[in-house]
Amino acid sequence: MSDNGKTSAKLIELTNLEKIYRVGTELIRALRGVSLTIAENEYVAIMGPSGSGKSTLMNIIGCLDIPTSGTYSLRGQDVSKLSQSRLARIRGRQIGFVFQTFELLPRTTALKNVQLPLMYAQTSNKRKRAMHALELVGLTDRAAHRPNQLSGGQKQRVAIARALAQEPDIILADEPTGNLDSKTGEEIMNIFDWLNDKGQTIIVVTHEKEIAARCKRVIRLLDGRIASDELNERGLRTSAERPTSMARAVS
Amino acid sequence: MRSVIHILVVAATFVREMVAGSARNVATAFVQIWANKGRSILTTLGIIIAVTSTITVVSLVQGFGDHMTKTFRGYGTQYMVVRPYDPSGNHRHGVGRVTLDMGDLEAIRAECPHIHRSTPFVYARDGTITYGLETAEEVPVRGVSEQYQTIRNFFVDTGRFFGPIDIDSAANVIVLGRTVLKKLECDDSIVGQYVEMYGERFLVIGILESKGSNMGDDQDNTVMIPYSTATNMFPSQRRYFQFLVEATSEEDIAAADWEMTRVLRTRHRLEPGQPNDFRISRQDQTLREFDRFRNIASGVLGGIVSISLLVGGIGIMNIMLVSVTERTREIGLRKSIGGRRRDIMLQFLTEAVVLCTLGGAVGVSLAYVLTYIASLHPNMVPISVPYWTVILALGCAAGTGVVFGIIPAFKAAILHPIEALRHE
Repeated sequence: MSDNGKTSAKLIELTNLEKIYRVGTELIRALRGVSLTIAENEYVAIMGPSGSGKSTLMNIIGCLDIPTSGTYSLRGQDVSKLSQSRLARIRGRQIGFVFQTFELLPRTTALKNVQLPLMYAQTSNKRKRAMHALELVGLTDRAAHRPNQLSGGQKQRVAIARALAQEPDIILADEPTGNLDSKTGEEIMNIFDWLNDKGQTIIVVTHEKEIAARCKRVIRLLDGRIASDELNERGLRTSAERPTSMARAVS
Repeated sequence: MRSVIHILVVAATFVREMVAGSARNVATAFVQIWANKGRSILTTLGIIIAVTSTITVVSLVQGFGDHMTKTFRGYGTQYMVVRPYDPSGNHRHGVGRVTLDMGDLEAIRAECPHIHRSTPFVYARDGTITYGLETAEEVPVRGVSEQYQTIRNFFVDTGRFFGPIDIDSAANVIVLGRTVLKKLECDDSIVGQYVEMYGERFLVIGILESKGSNMGDDQDNTVMIPYSTATNMFPSQRRYFQFLVEATSEEDIAAADWEMTRVLRTRHRLEPGQPNDFRISRQDQTLREFDRFRNIASGVLGGIVSISLLVGGIGIMNIMLVSVTERTREIGLRKSIGGRRRDIMLQFLTEAVVLCTLGGAVGVSLAYVLTYIASLHPNMVPISVPYWTVILALGCAAGTGVVFGIIPAFKAAILHPIEALRHE
């Protein structure tokens, strides 16, 4: 805390996180003491079989849920004991979610979908910011299209634009390619690679090795604990071969 | 003090956010309602019917009421009717005691300073009038004096009314109403001719101006003869002898009432505590009674409306609950990108209010159409939709949206984002 440069570099700091659910009379310990630090501009994959606690971890990092014990500090702010309303505010301004099933509002244009978080945050210049976000994912020409007029890949790109609109600290992607064919999935990952090159912190929750291989750091969970946490050399190496512009990323 | 300021700041922020968010919420509501057109229409049908029926019925009641009031006023508002009345409640059969007579009327004229006109009034038996080959059957015959026309604003526009000489001599003279004239297939040239009634010949001396009809009661279907003629021909009608008196001004009605009561009680030798054997009906009281009736009718209508709005509101609540369940994932998404509970609450509340208000607006339009159709009827009194009913109806509809939208909106607001996003 004393060194501002260091604390800002430490974007996420989880200390001894525990999460216990009660299902009926049974107590489920989804997280059993997870400590983790993620710095700015990291590109992290969280992996693990179902039941390993990776969804729970993602929900807590995304401020959708609070831990039973332990602390979570996001950019130096302890968010593990905030009210629902405060958490919603943080979700709206600091976190950008990308879901497996896109979750675009039907009957609403791509542009309006991207504007949605800006509306909740009451940001000014909504239209300009939203158009900029759409530009980042190469969909300026689809701004007026509704989700049912877009392909799966395009939908996910709109969702990414929506996540980007507020210029969040973290992009949190939950199985972002799970509903896409491998070629389209590749395109989406290209966008993530490119965004990360531009300085965006990205956390991808996935169970696909190919996806995790694109990231620079892979954290594996097992039974609510971190089983391994290693840098991905291939991911680091390939970064040099990454496309330098959006046009090449999505072509 | 600080907490008060805090509350004020919170309230101000809330209002500001509400205004900022409401435009977006209304837009979202319209998109949702349009996306579920059929369902929306069926849902708001209850509200539509409630609003339509209320406004239509209120417009009709108001229209008839205004018409009645105007008609009453047209008769003159300063007059009173004095009738014989049996306080025991028994209707007298056969020839009973005559409770009002000319002596009473003369005493009233002499002793009541607040009364400046008066006339005896007696309904003779309905007459059949024959002129040449034409007859007018069952015409109400009024036996009155010349003052009647001033008191009731009912004048002759052709010929003349009968005067004191006709009354003193109980002359067989008659004044005809316009409807009677029409039945006799005759024009104003009948003045000076003779008609036959009760087997006697009556000289037509005048034609009454047209008064039109009041609630289906044709005011022009009448003839008038001197009261003395009427009581001579039908002595038993003396039992129903009434007076029509006019106060010096509208403000003096109560004083005139009191004076007459005193005079009549003295003349009828009523002990203190004994009930009156006559009744004085005042036009201002009739108007007041009528207004009271109108208010009661409005109250009853209000009750019916609140029941139908209740039913409509339950329909709205039902469909909003369905909507919340259907859109659980959307709610989860909205929460995950920064929507707070109050944002979600407001969104669904707005949707319910917009739905209800739209229903109200459709109802108002339908009411306009219905009242227009009703006004096409030839015998219809002039009716119009009062503006206050439109505002009230829209307000009630919106209020229904708030009341019945709260539970679904609350249900949406408290959904947990993770569970909402997992909802299938």
